[in-house]
Amino acid sequence: MQKYKTDWYLYYLINVTFIVLVSFPIYWAFVSSIKPPDELITNTPTLFPINPTFESYERIWNLEPTSSRGNVRSAFTNSAIVSIGTVVVSAVISTLAAYALTILRTPFRHFIFLLIIMPILIPGISLLIPLYKLVKELGLMNSYLGLILIHSTGMLTLGVFLMRNAFMSIPTSLREVALLEGSSELRIMFTVMLPLAIPGLLTLMVFALYGSWNDFILAFLFVNTIDMEMLNVFLMKLTFAGSQFDTFWGLLNAGAIISFVPIIIFYIFLQQYFVRGVTGSAVKE
Amino acid sequence: MSRLRKEQLVGLLMVSPALILLAVFFLYPLVNSFYMSFHKWPLFGKPKWVGLDNYIFMFQDERFWESLKFTFVYTLTVTPMLFVVAIGTALLCNAKAWGTTFFRSIYFLPVVMSFATASYVWLWLYSEMYGVIVYALEFFGFGGENKNLNVWKTGTSSMWAVNAMVTWKFSGIQMIILIAGLQAIRDDYYEASKLMGASRWQTIWNVTLPLLRPSIALALILSIAGSIQAYEQFVIMTRGGPSNSTKTLVMHTVDMGFDYFKLGPAASLGVIIMIILFVLTVIQLRLFRKNY
Repeated sequence: MQKYKTDWYLYYLINVTFIVLVSFPIYWAFVSSIKPPDELITNTPTLFPINPTFESYERIWNLEPTSSRGNVRSAFTNSAIVSIGTVVVSAVISTLAAYALTILRTPFRHFIFLLIIMPILIPGISLLIPLYKLVKELGLMNSYLGLILIHSTGMLTLGVFLMRNAFMSIPTSLREVALLEGSSELRIMFTVMLPLAIPGLLTLMVFALYGSWNDFILAFLFVNTIDMEMLNVFLMKLTFAGSQFDTFWGLLNAGAIISFVPIIIFYIFLQQYFVRGVTGSAVKE
Repeated sequence: MSRLRKEQLVGLLMVSPALILLAVFFLYPLVNSFYMSFHKWPLFGKPKWVGLDNYIFMFQDERFWESLKFTFVYTLTVTPMLFVVAIGTALLCNAKAWGTTFFRSIYFLPVVMSFATASYVWLWLYSEMYGVIVYALEFFGFGGENKNLNVWKTGTSSMWAVNAMVTWKFSGIQMIILIAGLQAIRDDYYEASKLMGASRWQTIWNVTLPLLRPSIALALILSIAGSIQAYEQFVIMTRGGPSNSTKTLVMHTVDMGFDYFKLGPAASLGVIIMIILFVLTVIQLRLFRKNY
């Protein structure tokens, strides 16, 4: 670590410049979403909205579906269902698996662990075509379940890895005492072990949410009906429909903010788990 | 039943949902991607064994080479951009100064946004008529009078425009990795360097960067592997255009499979992408093992 003594003002000047540059696009999307059309579509943009209005939000919220795209209400609901489903399913499955592989004397546990970390070597994006065929054959096209299961499989490696680390840091004597008292294994897991593994569990849940809410490619390829459309794909269709009408940019910015707000709320409260997950996923070994 | 037996049984039951998911949505598609790449898939009827025909078809296709070339050019240009910003912000956040935690959380902020959302936000920044970037460029005297600075006009300018967005959106991840590496460097090194009268830049160049090499390698490999998988930023921002000049490998695969229904060649493309990424990941893990 280095100290900045004599030129501390330079240090803060550089940081402030960077902060402005980094946050500007987000700020700009937000102010653009609350400007009325005549203030938005102009050759001299204003840094602060003169007449802030929620017109764009009202308009996008009440946009009726067309033959080629759905509406934002159902798209938001669809994305939320898939995200919540992914968080729950991947938390349960990864926790159970990690518990069995670290705490219990499960047969073949080393081999099973190797199988579970195998996807590190083969990123899911190279399996799109066979995955598509599989989803079709299983009748999981246009279903919440299909997307939830694929996202949860994608989360499995990081999830089991995080929960394994969390369980390994708990002293085994805790479980042995509970066993002597005659508790069942599931009960011990939920009441004794899991409360001590909360940081790992939260990291896992934050990443499951991040991956599923922000997903584009699966939602784009495995959904082709309008009523099952996900939020990011809805916004893409809105973009591709074109900028002919002057309310378009206001709508798009409002849509971008709508898709960003849920995840930013989690970021504000659970920031350390986002960071932990990044170092964890880069350093899976 | 003995206690051990019971424990083994419970363990297998608990791990089975994960194994089922893995078998159905990972192992089966993995095996099938090879199977599919060696077969012809007519719209009706049974698949037919065709040996390496799909691979030959794919390699003879000019679009494959164009998308491969573009993916490499994109990777080679965006990686240094990401790295410069990441190392800069990482060094800023690693200083002994007030506010570093706050700076770090702001620099990481764009990572939280999805690639798709970031693309929509930047499309507006780049808007030809009313975009703030065009306005700023003109304000400082670039772009001419007739208000026509279309970044999507050529393939090269489109790529740099997307690169800027990706740098903004993604450098935070590498920053975190580099900060973790920086924190592992012991203070004695800096003190020794100071005692020898080194300036701050000399210290960064001769002490910090060499000691940071493993983290740097990790950050670079992650960036390369991520760039080879590039998809949605180009689908949304350039749509592969103008005239297919910004089509990535994954976009080409999706086109093949979903627009032209050529499942065999598309599967063989998937296998090629798999091999490239596999090699990169093995290098990444090697680097990691060796250095930690």
